[in-house]
Amino acid sequence: MPTTLSAFNGLDEKELAELDAACGWSLSGLELKEVQRQFRKMGRQPSRGELETIAQTWSEHCKHKTFSGPVSFRDGGKVKKYKNLFKETIVKATKTLNKKWCLSVFTDNAGIVEFGTGGKWGLAFKAETHNHPCAVEPYGGAETGVGGVIRDILGVGLGAKPVLNTDNFCFGRLDTKKKLPRNSHSPERIMRGVVEGVRDYGNRIGIPTASGGIYFDDGYLLNPLVYVGCAGLIPVDKIEKKVLPGDLIVSIGGRTGRDGIHGATFSSANIDEETSASAVQIGHAVNEKKTLDVLMRARDLGLYNAVTDCGAGGFSSAIGELGSDTGARVRLEKAQLKDTRIEPWEIWVSESQERMILSVPEAKLGKLETILNAESCEYCVLGSFPGDGRLLVTHGEEKVVDLPMAFLHGGVPNFEKPAARRKVKISAAPPARPAGLGAVLKDLLAHPNVCSRHSVITQYDHEVQGGTAIKPLQGKYGDGPGDATVICPRAATLDQEDFAGFAVTHGFGPGVGRIDPYQMALHSVDEAVRNLLCVGADVSRTAILDNFCAASPRDPEVMGDLVLAAEGCHDAAMAYGAPFISGKDSFYNQAKDAEGKEYPIPISLLISATAPVRDVRTAITMNFKEAGNPVYLAGVSCRGMGGSVYNDMTYSGNNQVSPLDMEASVKLYAALSKAMKAGCVAAAHDVSQGGLGVTLAEMAFSGGFGAELDLSGAAAEKGLTPLELLFGESPARLVLEVVKEKEAEFLKLVKGRPVAEIGYVSEEPVLEALLGGERFFREDINDLKRCWKKELI
Amino acid sequence: MKKPKAIILRGTGTNCDIETLNSFRYVGAEPELVHINQLLAGERRVLDYALMAFPGGFSYGDDISAGKIYAVKMAALAADFEAFVRDQRPVIGICNGFQILVKTGLLPENKANAQVSTLYTNDCGHFLAKWVKVKINKKSPCLFTKGLPDEIELPIAHGEGKFIVEDGKVLDSIIARNLHAMTYSENPNGSMLDIAGITNTAGTCFGLMPHPERNFFAWQHPDRPAAARETTAAGYQFFKNAVDYVS
Repeated sequence: MPTTLSAFNGLDEKELAELDAACGWSLSGLELKEVQRQFRKMGRQPSRGELETIAQTWSEHCKHKTFSGPVSFRDGGKVKKYKNLFKETIVKATKTLNKKWCLSVFTDNAGIVEFGTGGKWGLAFKAETHNHPCAVEPYGGAETGVGGVIRDILGVGLGAKPVLNTDNFCFGRLDTKKKLPRNSHSPERIMRGVVEGVRDYGNRIGIPTASGGIYFDDGYLLNPLVYVGCAGLIPVDKIEKKVLPGDLIVSIGGRTGRDGIHGATFSSANIDEETSASAVQIGHAVNEKKTLDVLMRARDLGLYNAVTDCGAGGFSSAIGELGSDTGARVRLEKAQLKDTRIEPWEIWVSESQERMILSVPEAKLGKLETILNAESCEYCVLGSFPGDGRLLVTHGEEKVVDLPMAFLHGGVPNFEKPAARRKVKISAAPPARPAGLGAVLKDLLAHPNVCSRHSVITQYDHEVQGGTAIKPLQGKYGDGPGDATVICPRAATLDQEDFAGFAVTHGFGPGVGRIDPYQMALHSVDEAVRNLLCVGADVSRTAILDNFCAASPRDPEVMGDLVLAAEGCHDAAMAYGAPFISGKDSFYNQAKDAEGKEYPIPISLLISATAPVRDVRTAITMNFKEAGNPVYLAGVSCRGMGGSVYNDMTYSGNNQVSPLDMEASVKLYAALSKAMKAGCVAAAHDVSQGGLGVTLAEMAFSGGFGAELDLSGAAAEKGLTPLELLFGESPARLVLEVVKEKEAEFLKLVKGRPVAEIGYVSEEPVLEALLGGERFFREDINDLKRCWKKELI
Repeated sequence: MKKPKAIILRGTGTNCDIETLNSFRYVGAEPELVHINQLLAGERRVLDYALMAFPGGFSYGDDISAGKIYAVKMAALAADFEAFVRDQRPVIGICNGFQILVKTGLLPENKANAQVSTLYTNDCGHFLAKWVKVKINKKSPCLFTKGLPDEIELPIAHGEGKFIVEDGKVLDSIIARNLHAMTYSENPNGSMLDIAGITNTAGTCFGLMPHPERNFFAWQHPDRPAAARETTAAGYQFFKNAVDYVS
């Protein structure tokens, strides 16, 4: 233990900073000063346990100080001030929209929306990141990331039953030429570790991992991003939780050990050569499964009043959160340990996995114990919630923490951060046209951000629970890339006559974000909504999650990116009528490269979205179904190659981002939604990475059909070049295969919208695209598929 | 008519219990989830049931090897399990359930604690989840596969599905009695003789790696021709056959 700790109140600025570094708290100088001031006021020195508790509770990870703090944004000559950036953008949209089908937003471990008909069920949805642990120890980091977000779902309300896991990864390019610093892992090693971690945890716990994506970019070389998400079903009468004074504090599931000390504070630091893997926890999926099984039974019997998970900060955060009104008495000697050398304060902040905290009325403890024993699930009674607002943590005779709860949860000081718009050079010149568009199409299909993910997806059990109606791989050969996953959660409802389901998907576009963070947010929300539409979900009921990842918030341009993206989130949510229901953010995703230079990630926003599917039997897949059916392109193709896969491959000389016309796309999607409900659409697929050419190729080879196409009728912005039409990634477009017999009805339903016939599905396995008299390409679909179907892992 | 009682056996890490329960209920059984701890404590008895199912999952984390710990826990109740199988009451083990049945020895020879075959790590070395085509052996005595077409599609999802036997004699006797009720059209894991499912001689105890409960309804299939959305699919027949047999 650092010797200066016992004289905390008398330390000067430099000594405080040294102590902070030695203890790994990641508190700022101003925060340390504030702690000092408070303890001087109390007239005593803080204990190690108290300082640890404060460091955990005030960490970026737990308090989201940056996003929820004041920001001053300089945009050219104008300055805009925010008191609380998050509340004034994302939360504001949700509040203004005020949808009555939102049952719980931003307050609990996950957002909850109505599910199905009859008002019986809610759908809880949450996604978060586990970036820093995965950079240091990819396998363990990914495992515990999955375990953590599942516990968020178990700990929302009185507990939801998880029915779907999602995962989105960003890695450096596998073929990177950049030199890596000592002590960092190659992208391939990180990818393997992360995929295996998600696989081994998700499969073992019996939740389908069925939705996600992988994005390769050298911006993530030293800081991979690992977004993990989980959705679960909860009875609507189990959403409210309240700790009652006198309740016992019961910890169930895993034991407490020295793994994962300082996970919360470590995630607020840049990763460097000294970063220790001991900050990463060790996962044990089967323990979490026991916890899940116990919770679901105990919940339905009403054996506890509140529950939350032990995540960042361990007991200190979980008990601190549950007891924020009542206070808590905790006797750490009661904890079940996996390591007896552990210090009392370490028990208090350890982030050992698979632990949930329940608030249990004394009279119900016996019944709970019966269930715990029946499921072979370990537990301990740690203390009680007394109702006096005081947090008193002891270990035998030793006092570890003795603080008023109000200090912990109210005391955190916050300081204004400067933000500025990043300067980006935009070239609007017409893109250079390459020779051989067929060859370009093949190269695009083989690009790491386009090619097949089957070698990863097939390592996940994406169908456990038997409810995965629309799978990540689909079509005639079971390998077509789906737009969204549809789940019929019968393993939760047990209702075999109910065909209600929900769709889940994501939107992500850091390529656009590098050029225009505001448009990135718009495009990402649009992509997510469009993906939901493709499977036939009711997009008027879309709910979304935001997950921001950024570099150091001390850089005003990073903060500028964040402000613009947050404003984009607000505007898109309003335009699409899609409220945010939960969100997370992760900062300090930057590291020093081999030359010792700072290496930040690009601003990264994952939009995860869900919408109801009335009847999963009618949900739509993306592959062509029948020769002779007409093919339509919906949406206007716009100018600009900015952020495209094509530009990543060969810079076209144009990096303009096509602005999204949200009003037009909302109208378009409403019309298409009607056409889908009427059964007019046989297949739908969004135009995204790689552009229209890739979309058409995927629909063709996934169905085993060709297509004869003439794109001259497509709705297009004036001056659009063939390259932009085929491989540009302007938003709000999708390709539809229309049922031939219902074409007239389809046209009636989409009248007045930019929807144009571009050809028909053909028996001959050849994809041909013309523009009037000119042939763009004519390719065998099996050749195209061979280019696309690469083994990533 | 009284519904036949089905015991759906659970343990720590059993994952496919609910969908197995749903499937048995759909075909007219009265299923109950029972934890192995309840059997060991004497709260439930297997001989009180007409049907038995071992669902998929990762019982006890697949530690040591898949299904092994569950099989060891069953050893104390070996007499009951043997009697259940000897009575020719239907038993189905799916995926991890198949692994358990093989590791007890109940498959293929009705003997608890006499293992002659195993399910070993896939040739690819890792967990694999995909749809496969399987051939139904029409000469097999297996009651679960009766009435199915020559070839059906089912999803697999396992890391240890490679069926191997102790020696050539075991294999010869499997072939001679047509105990290999189901074989892969394209072998995904390296199983001997492409074996996907094994029955006992009476045809009443059956284990398979693919998941029939995941192709129970047509909407669960990855290729969704509009016409088939309303109906049940191949997996339904496995459960229906079991209930018909005891009704």
